[in-house]
Amino acid sequence: MRKPRASAAYRIAFTYSAAFTLAILLLGVAIYIAADAQFRRQQDAALVDEASALAHEYNEGDLPEIRHAIARREGSNTINAYGYALFDRTGHRVGGGLNTRKPPVGLQDIVFVDPVEGADHARAYATDLTRGLRLVVARDSESLEGIDQTIVLIFGGAFVLVIGLSVFGALLLGGYLQRRLDGISGVARAIMAGDMAQRVPLSDRRDEFDAVGSALNTMLDRIGQLMDNLRQVSSDVAHDLRTPLLRLRNQLEQVGQVPGAAERAIEQGDAVLALFAALLRIAEVEGGALARSFVATDMTLVVTEIAESYAPAFADSGRTLGWSVAPGITVLGDRELIAQALINLLDNALLHTPPGTPVAVSLEADAHVATVSVADAGPGVPPGDHARILQRFARGEASRTTPGNGLGLSLVAAVTAAHGGTIAVDDNRPGLRVTLRIPRVDAA
Amino acid sequence: MHILLAEDDTETARFIAEGLTALGHQVTHVATGPLALQAASDATFDAVILDRMLPGLDGLEVLRQLRAVPNRVPVLVLTALGGIADRVDGLDAGADDYLVKPFAFVELAARLNALARRVPGPEQTTRIEIGEIALDLLRREVTRCGKPVHLQPREFALLEQLMRQAGRVVTRTMFLENVWGFHFDPQTNIVESHLSRLRTKLREGFSDDPIETIRGSGYRIRTDA
Repeated sequence: MRKPRASAAYRIAFTYSAAFTLAILLLGVAIYIAADAQFRRQQDAALVDEASALAHEYNEGDLPEIRHAIARREGSNTINAYGYALFDRTGHRVGGGLNTRKPPVGLQDIVFVDPVEGADHARAYATDLTRGLRLVVARDSESLEGIDQTIVLIFGGAFVLVIGLSVFGALLLGGYLQRRLDGISGVARAIMAGDMAQRVPLSDRRDEFDAVGSALNTMLDRIGQLMDNLRQVSSDVAHDLRTPLLRLRNQLEQVGQVPGAAERAIEQGDAVLALFAALLRIAEVEGGALARSFVATDMTLVVTEIAESYAPAFADSGRTLGWSVAPGITVLGDRELIAQALINLLDNALLHTPPGTPVAVSLEADAHVATVSVADAGPGVPPGDHARILQRFARGEASRTTPGNGLGLSLVAAVTAAHGGTIAVDDNRPGLRVTLRIPRVDAA
Repeated sequence: MHILLAEDDTETARFIAEGLTALGHQVTHVATGPLALQAASDATFDAVILDRMLPGLDGLEVLRQLRAVPNRVPVLVLTALGGIADRVDGLDAGADDYLVKPFAFVELAARLNALARRVPGPEQTTRIEIGEIALDLLRREVTRCGKPVHLQPREFALLEQLMRQAGRVVTRTMFLENVWGFHFDPQTNIVESHLSRLRTKLREGFSDDPIETIRGSGYRIRTDA
């Protein structure tokens, strides 16, 4: 388990929650500023309204009437939030209970003396009445500050809750992400330790983690297959070598006692060397480095040459080789590799069909792909074995007793793949047809 | 023949030197690149067998420096590297022939013979006559005792190889390289089936076969036929 500090999962979760918290904070400040300004505007408007109402009502009246109206308002329970003061020209307070000095006309913050609390702040509006009188309407700032405090309090509480929730959420999310990732890395470690059977556990949610896990599992299956294949090839090499080496040993034992034993021993040695040469050749072709030396190669010429060269060998064995070759077909490749692939296909046709079997080679092409096929009318291969015979050392049951090392078609497949092509094995009804499709290029 | 053998592997060197000595050749053996270059410059050899991987100086570098002199001694390069690109490198450096290890001794001996006795400019010859058989390289015509023999192009090429190496063995792989341009060994008998046709045609109306099979090595045209 990683420390949360070093964990990308936790880092992402905490970054996300910090961003969320910051956003909430900014939102809170904005709301506070807007609400505060709105309250102040409303309060100012109320002060102006109240002063205007009084002024309008008593502008024509006498001083005692105004003083009386003020006293009545001060005494009323409903609007006791306001304080009033009335000043004459000399600045003496001639009415109202608001203990303050004569302020200038307009909206302003003033200081007044509260009978209980002493000096205090208030918001005030002053307006001139007739006869040199100045009316002041004020409201204690405490009420607005109270609202502001309430907003800050509520928001502060909410903010602490949000921080708590987002930290909790981040821990939860980070832990979840890490648990899912730990599942994958745990499997990787188990496989490194040698347990190839381990697979990433998948949930039913089919989320991104399941997609990654599923891709990894598929990859592990493929690697497993390749490793099995490799193990199979290694044991096949050992097995296929043991038989000819044993024969070689027996032949060597007979040298000097049985005539011709030395020559047979040399032939046996050559067969072993040929097996190695074929394996190395396949490795070289599969290695892919050859593609660098590929040049425009005249397929028409190569196929014709090989068919012509093989016709006598077919005729000698009582088989017939026919060919139909389309002119002017060029591919990017290596002449000898293509020739060897064709030769292996023809060798197979010679080895695995009874005398008298017709065999046909054809080369045709569409605009993009050259198609070479070698088809015989022999006994063929069971359809279930079509894919298998392309593998190294794979030999059909029927061909167990015929010569060959089971590498011919593997090399054909490797050569085709090296040329960017595909190989197909089909039923020729009757017989076997192997088709190579290789991309065409323009003649150089 | 006097042959320079540059090979650092003691076992391989002994196997080659003993074989060549048994065939009546004289062998000078060196084991490093600089010694090979010095020996080839100091004395005249009929042929050089040069291992590609030599200590001190790479075999191909020895070859390049020899050719730069220029020294036209026939050189056969031995290598453990059988890749297509490696062979092209060897021939580019000026090798006359290229043999991939492991090889059969008869193959080495046959190729060495073919190299060392290569007369400068035989390619310009337009007519080769060995015994009763005459080959017209311009008209692509063959006669035996003046009687025309009709050959397919590959049969003609096989006969030409044999006649250029008159009295010496031509191996199966030499045919594959020179007639088909294949540097690999197809496991079937295309050489044999074409040779068998060639022999049948040459023998038609005659009692003897002008081509001998040398068991385990290759084929040779009889100079007395």
